[in-house]
Amino acid sequence: MLREDLTIAEAAWREGHASEFAEATAKPVTCEDGLPLKPLYTPLDVGSDYLEEIGFPGDFPYTRGNDATGYRKKLWTISPYAGFGSPRETNELFRKLIDHGALPPYMALDLPTQLGLDPDDPMAAGEVGLSGTSIASLRDWETVFDGISLEQTFAGTVVNAPAVVILAMHVVCAQKQGADLTKVRGNIQNDILKEFTARGNFIFPVEPSIRLLVDSVEYCAKHLPSYWPVNVTGGHFAEAGANRVHELAFAFSDAFTYIERIMARGVPVDAFAKNMFFLMKTNHFDLFEEVAKFRVMRKVWARRLRDRYGARDPESLKCKILGASGGSQLTRERPELNIARTTLACLASALGGVQLVSLRTMDEVFGIPSHEAEMISIGTQHVVAYETGVPDVTDPLGGSYYVESLTREYESRVLAEIERIEAEGGMIRAVETGSVRRAIAQDAYQAQVALEHGEKVKVGVNKFRIEEDERPRRPYILHPEEEGRRVAEVQALRRERDSTAAAAALDEIRRVARLPEGSDTNLMYPIIEAVRSYATVGEICKALKDVFGEYDERGRV
Amino acid sequence: MEKRIPRILMGKPGLCGHDRGIMLVVMALRDAGMEVIYSGRHNSPEQLVKVAIQEDVDVLGVSVLSGAHLSMCGRVATLLREQGAEDIVLLAGGFIPPEDIPKLKALNVREVFTEGAKLDDIVAFVRRVSEERHQRVHGMAAS
Repeated sequence: MLREDLTIAEAAWREGHASEFAEATAKPVTCEDGLPLKPLYTPLDVGSDYLEEIGFPGDFPYTRGNDATGYRKKLWTISPYAGFGSPRETNELFRKLIDHGALPPYMALDLPTQLGLDPDDPMAAGEVGLSGTSIASLRDWETVFDGISLEQTFAGTVVNAPAVVILAMHVVCAQKQGADLTKVRGNIQNDILKEFTARGNFIFPVEPSIRLLVDSVEYCAKHLPSYWPVNVTGGHFAEAGANRVHELAFAFSDAFTYIERIMARGVPVDAFAKNMFFLMKTNHFDLFEEVAKFRVMRKVWARRLRDRYGARDPESLKCKILGASGGSQLTRERPELNIARTTLACLASALGGVQLVSLRTMDEVFGIPSHEAEMISIGTQHVVAYETGVPDVTDPLGGSYYVESLTREYESRVLAEIERIEAEGGMIRAVETGSVRRAIAQDAYQAQVALEHGEKVKVGVNKFRIEEDERPRRPYILHPEEEGRRVAEVQALRRERDSTAAAAALDEIRRVARLPEGSDTNLMYPIIEAVRSYATVGEICKALKDVFGEYDERGRV
Repeated sequence: MEKRIPRILMGKPGLCGHDRGIMLVVMALRDAGMEVIYSGRHNSPEQLVKVAIQEDVDVLGVSVLSGAHLSMCGRVATLLREQGAEDIVLLAGGFIPPEDIPKLKALNVREVFTEGAKLDDIVAFVRRVSEERHQRVHGMAAS
């Protein structure tokens, strides 16, 4: 049928149902971003150049997926996020998860560790071991991975500002295990720009933070070719309130900034881009928009990597994505419904063709998850993976007029936003002027107002409320003496180690940090030696602060 | 008598970096015409109390999502009392289990707003307690 004929037919159909349309479109329907939604999509809403715009999975521009045969080749990886309290407890939990076939466990670190503070730092008081594992030195890392082979395990860790220190621990621990470094797999999040703009776990000013990131990626390109040194976390923008277009545009702008800095160091793009991946929020609401989001990401990434950065390795052109549901979409009211929400989030990720999925547990709204809830969450993924048939056919929503139309629409909006940021001086400038923070805050405000005015429904919160028993739910409670134990442990370590060697290693970090950045002054090497001498996270970060100073966010909000 | 514009200090004590909630409250209070100072993230309780006293605020609002709310609020409340500034109304928000709310109130936190709280309710509450506090402390001088 010709396009003109279809246009006439569609107009006639609409005319024939005029009164229904008048009613159904009296109030505009939009998705979360304010993107207006039509009641129906037809071939008129999609492009006509299938090969150029969409193509086949496994081929450029990868809109339909990274692999020709999708999940038939390999199912997505079930990736829980876990870790709490002491390194010993974390080791026990990891062994238990590994026994259940759940790999890799993504390790949560407590806030003092993520901010480069030892357990006995005054600013750490009250926070040690609270929101993740407390890691003060190589000794703790050796405890966490006691009996776990670093050559065979993918060890993911959510750490950003002091990511180089954790990476150094991983290297030394693997060396001590006798592992072949070329086979060591794992990930540090290492996405520092979004810490300034969304999540707040920053230490050093922006420029030295980028230097540390480039140092770590350059080191991995040379010595740890299987390790993923950067996980660009758009999901943290979304959790902070950013709408979908901002989530994508800010994540890409951060990623492109890193790529440009790493290439400027002289590392070829094909030596590292294949080991970068994204963590994006996967929402249960706006289900089809989420699917479109993942399709758009692959397209935008592939085009930019090929055309702007000259990447040639197909692995560099494939945008690898971890779909992660977020805590902000779950509710304390009727918390069992969180299982339904995360099931749908998992479905969105699966339909979007992501490589890894991480779901929040139903009880995460009350604190660190219980083991029971963790197992339900893993089981939820098993149900989607093995009972729905979704993995059988690649990109099953490809060709849907609606999803293809959304894919086009988001692509153009995201590209326009990326261009806007570039035109205004790039992402580092946008961080420093606070413009990204303001955009996220505005999005969050709009969403909150929509929720409070009942324009957006949250079941159990602003609609379908039921009276519930108020029994307390505390999934996991940190032992009250844990902080004291951790303080004693780090103080004992400082007495027992060769402190002259540790002090010399810290001096070497300061010396190299003062030199201009470059391959010859890559800080990974002195940091690895400091870690080997059992210098602590706090001491190493202090040495870096002595040279770099600290980031001050006042005046930027 | 002139009505004073409420003066509010909002800040995050401790290490928690999540500030979606506190930013929403800051924006809502500013939209409602109040004078709001946002001190940002990674404040020590000492810093927050010092600024609150220097700026003569009516309300100090703190937000904690890391689970450290009891120790953080306890330290802020103790410092306010030690420095004779108990009149500053202490409010808390964040990721706080329901059974901890009475414990926070026992620590002299006047009210606790968790993720279900509505901005309009927070604004109305802050306005009321600001006026009460101002009357109590500056009422005689202003009339």
